[in-house]
Amino acid sequence: MKGSEVVRMVPDKNGQANEGHSCVKGRFAWGYATHKDRILKPMIRGKITDPWKEVSWDEALDYAAAEFRRIQKKYGRDSIGGIVSSRCTNEEGYLVQKLVRTAFGNNNVDTCARVCHSPTGYGLKQTLGESAGTQTFKSVEHSDVIMVIGANPTDAHPVFASRMKKRLLNGAKLIVIDPRHIDLVRSPHVRADFHLPLKPGTNVAMLSSIAHVIVTEGLLATDFIAQRCEDKAFQQWRDFVALPENSPEAMQEITGVPAELVRGAARLYATGGNAAIYYGLGVTEHAQGSTAVMGIANLAMATGNIGREGVGVNPLRGQNNVQGSCDIGSFPHELPGYRHVSDSTTRHLFEQAWGVEIQPEPGLRIPNMFDAALDGSFMGMYCQGEDIVQSDPNTQHVTAALSAMECIVVQDIFMNETAMYAHVFLPGSSFLEKDGTFTNAERRISRVRKVMPPKAVYADWEVTVLLAQRMGYTMDYAHPSEIMDEIARLTPTFHGVSYEKLDQLGSIQWPCNDEAPLGTPTMHIDHFVRGKGKFIITKYVATDEKVTRKFPLILTTGRILSQYNVGAQTRRTENVQWHQQDILEIHPHDAEERGIRDGGWVGIHSRSGETVLRAKVSERMQPGVVYTTFHFPESGANVITTENSDWATNCPEYKVTAVQVMPVLESSDWQKKYTRFSKVQDDLLKNAGEGTGNKTPDIKIKAVAKSIA
Amino acid sequence: MLEQLNEKDFGTPRRIAEQEVTLEIDGMQVTVAAGTSIMRAAAESGVNVPKLCATDSLEPFGSCRLCLVEIEGRKGYPASCTTQVERGMKVRTQTPKLQALRKGVMELYISDHPLDCLTCAANGNCELQDMAGVTGLREVRYGYEGENHIHSQKDESNPYFTYDPSKCIVCNRCVRACEETQGTYALTISGRGFESRVSPGQDQPFMDSECVSCGACVQACPTATLQEKTVIELGQAEHSVVTTCAY
Ligand code: SF4
Ligand code: FES
Repeated sequence: MKGSEVVRMVPDKNGQANEGHSCVKGRFAWGYATHKDRILKPMIRGKITDPWKEVSWDEALDYAAAEFRRIQKKYGRDSIGGIVSSRCTNEEGYLVQKLVRTAFGNNNVDTCARVCHSPTGYGLKQTLGESAGTQTFKSVEHSDVIMVIGANPTDAHPVFASRMKKRLLNGAKLIVIDPRHIDLVRSPHVRADFHLPLKPGTNVAMLSSIAHVIVTEGLLATDFIAQRCEDKAFQQWRDFVALPENSPEAMQEITGVPAELVRGAARLYATGGNAAIYYGLGVTEHAQGSTAVMGIANLAMATGNIGREGVGVNPLRGQNNVQGSCDIGSFPHELPGYRHVSDSTTRHLFEQAWGVEIQPEPGLRIPNMFDAALDGSFMGMYCQGEDIVQSDPNTQHVTAALSAMECIVVQDIFMNETAMYAHVFLPGSSFLEKDGTFTNAERRISRVRKVMPPKAVYADWEVTVLLAQRMGYTMDYAHPSEIMDEIARLTPTFHGVSYEKLDQLGSIQWPCNDEAPLGTPTMHIDHFVRGKGKFIITKYVATDEKVTRKFPLILTTGRILSQYNVGAQTRRTENVQWHQQDILEIHPHDAEERGIRDGGWVGIHSRSGETVLRAKVSERMQPGVVYTTFHFPESGANVITTENSDWATNCPEYKVTAVQVMPVLESSDWQKKYTRFSKVQDDLLKNAGEGTGNKTPDIKIKAVAKSIA
Repeated sequence: MLEQLNEKDFGTPRRIAEQEVTLEIDGMQVTVAAGTSIMRAAAESGVNVPKLCATDSLEPFGSCRLCLVEIEGRKGYPASCTTQVERGMKVRTQTPKLQALRKGVMELYISDHPLDCLTCAANGNCELQDMAGVTGLREVRYGYEGENHIHSQKDESNPYFTYDPSKCIVCNRCVRACEETQGTYALTISGRGFESRVSPGQDQPFMDSECVSCGACVQACPTATLQEKTVIELGQAEHSVVTTCAY
């Protein structure tokens, strides 16, 4: 630092999560924080076709509060809700759900984790008893076999990938279960011992057939199961997976993977020593996402690979604080610490602390909010640091829902895609401008420390406090540490957490309480959090999203190294030099059949919509499967994805969409509409206030121009 | 200033072993885990042996010969970064002979290094500069008349850092960081002897190579050869704050 200016970022050798390493984003791509596109003044407008008007903080907050109250009066208490960001701090997320449960008086709060790892929370809670990964990252140093399912760590989790590669170079064996030939399958000095290139949407079939081999070839960890797991559930599960229909030979037809490969991988996982499973959104973002997570937990229990270093079930999380945002009660059915709102003891605890009555019924999930908006019963939303328009599936449905609402309050550092549908814009603060904590996939809580004053006067948590106050509910905090103290007081798994202790220890892995005063690096050591581990039958059910003559290919979506999520941050850095646009990867056979050449424009249709991208002909794909990313709004990757979702948690099925791909000459109707709409929105922004810091987001215009060129 | 900003570098990675070894360094009794290097054992007890090619995030390489020590009963001057501690060893890190040897090594390095310290981006945060100070280098007898690298071309293709081969001391830290820390194997030392320099891929610019721009090499580089563009533009930092990455 030089005063309040960042000179460089250097990963900390003492950082317990990264041990002195970072990727291109963390080390270099922080320039977005001071980018000229930052919006620094609050703005309001009556309709989304009106120009934005810059106003004072007071006016903006008064307006938002009055609108929310007006809407509740007209449409009922449940007609408004809030969205917690997985990029903001734990303290900020906690305040948003508190605002909803106190000032709004309902449970209509949800988080972007809905669209990524909600099945992890559900599946691991059912089987093991806690909605989180079981290990530290360091644990991988003790693994003998590493199984990677539906994750592409070298692109999406590069710092952990480096540690994993280090262990692989020192002799650990590797199994990759992924439709694509990801880099880990073969890179310098690393080669997967098994790559099972299954068809998208068949994870559960694959996991059952691996379990079948373990059970029928006598590879079960019988002592572990007898001591640690529920016997009846185990027997039912064992009998189920042993059925011939679950054999790799029978499943071959469905998964497309030769049975012998599956048998080899299963034997290696069960007998190769310490075996750890790492999985990502390729497991969760499916119609059977929760089932697959439970299938993974079953495998770990069946082979005794849980409860010590080097093993375990490890979700590789999406955004920086997706674990934390789930922990602090941002789901409509759960209070902080994953306790159901119907549980009256927990509810009373919070009612006493907060001085309000809490609704015992779960509130609306994000997709239900959209449906309710279209029905006319959900009319107002407070959305902090999350771009639902770009990240949620079936964009047209989302934008129709937002257009139907009467007051959308967006709090963000940039005029994001959702803000184009907003009526109130409250400037947000970047992680450099506030104190707080983030929690990563290892359940590790780390301090975020302010290095510069908030550019728009307030840190995000302060804005929520002010909004609550305007709505007649007092939140009294002098510093985020006091918010953490409240979380700790009310949440058993956080009882021992404080800023003081975080400063002393560097970071803490929850549960941290009287039983584990220094935190818990490895979970489920002597017994499972739920007591006995529970095997759950995982029956494969094919997704409704089937390939047909009209839509013969499967589209699966993902990420790349240089961009982060919806790209609002990384698109505003030099990282665009590596990735200027989203492209469609397609196998040479599929390309040739359709006359598609490398670099040419292709139209991608699904039953939801159509968009146009450039093609990249690539052997990384298997025939029949195409792939793209969603980092640029004008690409409209989510115009094509459907409203199909996980049966248990509504996590969208981003990984499977039946599509057709054809060469085209111009952008799709949606893209043309999008370009027009965002041009209009840019103009409405340009005219906001006189002589202020607001500038037009020109990067977006440039990128838009590219897509129609 | 450096002390506050940079964490202490113990020279070689920490070893974890049940067995402990006690030895004598500069007359002090020191106890460390078996397998620890003499360099690290010394650093842990507060004695900093001069070094250039060693850093505690990477396995020792033993190429710069600046960390030489004397061990009682042993011939020659072993490198303390690559020599492990043994029970009862008596090590000396500072003697007139060692001083002279280190000066000689430094003189060779500096004779092929631009002397633009005052305007160099690493000024104030350069291990080469530190070592010139530590070894007491006062004159360089070889001029620039002979062959040198002073006019090598810079590679500015990466948006975040530059590579200036004229300042490279071929310590191999960047290559090892790319292999050990990142696991990408994008960098190699190409050429032999005097010709040798770091290169991404087959003598490609960084942007065209396999480099993923993680920056581990930039952090490992003891000189201004690999340097953040923000530091070139803004100068060295004056304070630091520990926080958590928001990606
Ligand atoms: S570029 Fe830096 S780290 Fe790499 S060999 Fe040269 S001086 Fe050493
Ligand atoms: S530091 Fe030991 S040889 Fe370079």
